[in-house]
Amino acid sequence: MIVDKKRVKQIFKSGIWDDNPVFRQVIGICSSLAVTNLLMSSLIMGLALTFVTAFSELTISIIRKFTPKHIRMVVQVLIISAFVIIVDIFLKAYYPEMSKALGPYVGLIITNCIIMGRCEAFAQSNPPISSFLDGIASGLGYTMVLLMIAFIRELMGFGSIFGIQLLGNWWTRWTIMVMPPSAFFIMGVIFWWARSKTEKKEEKKEGGKVTA
Amino acid sequence: MKDFKRKYILPILFTIIVTAVTTFLLAGINYLTTDAIALNEETTLRSTILYVFNIDYPSGDAKKIEEIFTQHVKSKEVGDKTIYYIEDRNEISAYAFPVDGVALWGSVHAYVAISSDYNEILGIDFVSQSETPGLGGRISEAWFKEQFRGLKLGDIQDGEYIVYRPAPGGNVDGISGATLTSNAIRELLNKGIYEFISEQRGL
Repeated sequence: MIVDKKRVKQIFKSGIWDDNPVFRQVIGICSSLAVTNLLMSSLIMGLALTFVTAFSELTISIIRKFTPKHIRMVVQVLIISAFVIIVDIFLKAYYPEMSKALGPYVGLIITNCIIMGRCEAFAQSNPPISSFLDGIASGLGYTMVLLMIAFIRELMGFGSIFGIQLLGNWWTRWTIMVMPPSAFFIMGVIFWWARSKTEKKEEKKEGGKVTA
Repeated sequence: MKDFKRKYILPILFTIIVTAVTTFLLAGINYLTTDAIALNEETTLRSTILYVFNIDYPSGDAKKIEEIFTQHVKSKEVGDKTIYYIEDRNEISAYAFPVDGVALWGSVHAYVAISSDYNEILGIDFVSQSETPGLGGRISEAWFKEQFRGLKLGDIQDGEYIVYRPAPGGNVDGISGATLTSNAIRELLNKGIYEFISEQRGL
């Protein structure tokens, strides 16, 4: 059950760019708004989500052939929750600072649509290894967008990058960047930029102009 | 009958098995990490108490913190609260007590240390708060907390220990842009300190 290189490349390309969960599928954006005022918490959040998505997809893909079809969602939620609780316990035990900073958002990973979306769309109909890779790819795509937003927010709101003060006292901190609304604006701009990059391709593919 | 089995029995069995396996896994992980988590929580509390008493401690060194803590600080139960105190030649020289209240976005748990003659605040620290990061959340920053060290309480009657500048008699700076949080913190500290002192005097 070895996945060939081309397939791996395709999974990663679609997870990170072509089908990026945040700016293409527009799922999992609640947490992208909530935790992105600091780069460090965004990174931990992204890694936690990548871990949960990858392992949930792996598990669900392994048991997909025995799972009765009409209860598959119950089973998915159960498995996702188990992995989220593992992440929660792990952070509490070994990174108490981070666990405190992320607060309730760790538990809320359960409700992140990316995980269930990928489990339902991909793991349910693909072999375990490619499902696992798909989880990693989607997680990385999500982390990437989170870090982009957090970079702008932390730099302008706190004058720092990963907690290291870069801008001196001359910089007036933008209060709005610390508050949740700024994530909306920045996310909108990122969507716009990402769409403008891919629009040409779509025109070609669909043989017509994309209109709103 | 076959249909019944396929529709109900198998799914129920399957769910039970999956639940059992995941629960078993989680219980195991929980069991393995209980000690680490308890130690972390204890270390956080100990650091807070040492901080409010203004005793230096190496941050991130759980063993050292425990050593310093047990050497200096003692505790007793008063009602449903735990109060910490320092003894100097068998006489209590300072108290630290929990203060709880509500700020703008959620509950705040803090510790306040005052001298045993109720004349001076030694320090304050926040155990948990959920104010806006970068705004109200700055109450957890050192510059805000350090302002309270050595604040005199002596001649104040009506419990208005903390007054923000530039109001007359102001002794502490609030946080600009976070007036509601600042005010809530002032109220809960004033109330907490007042209650503690009245209780102690009453005893």
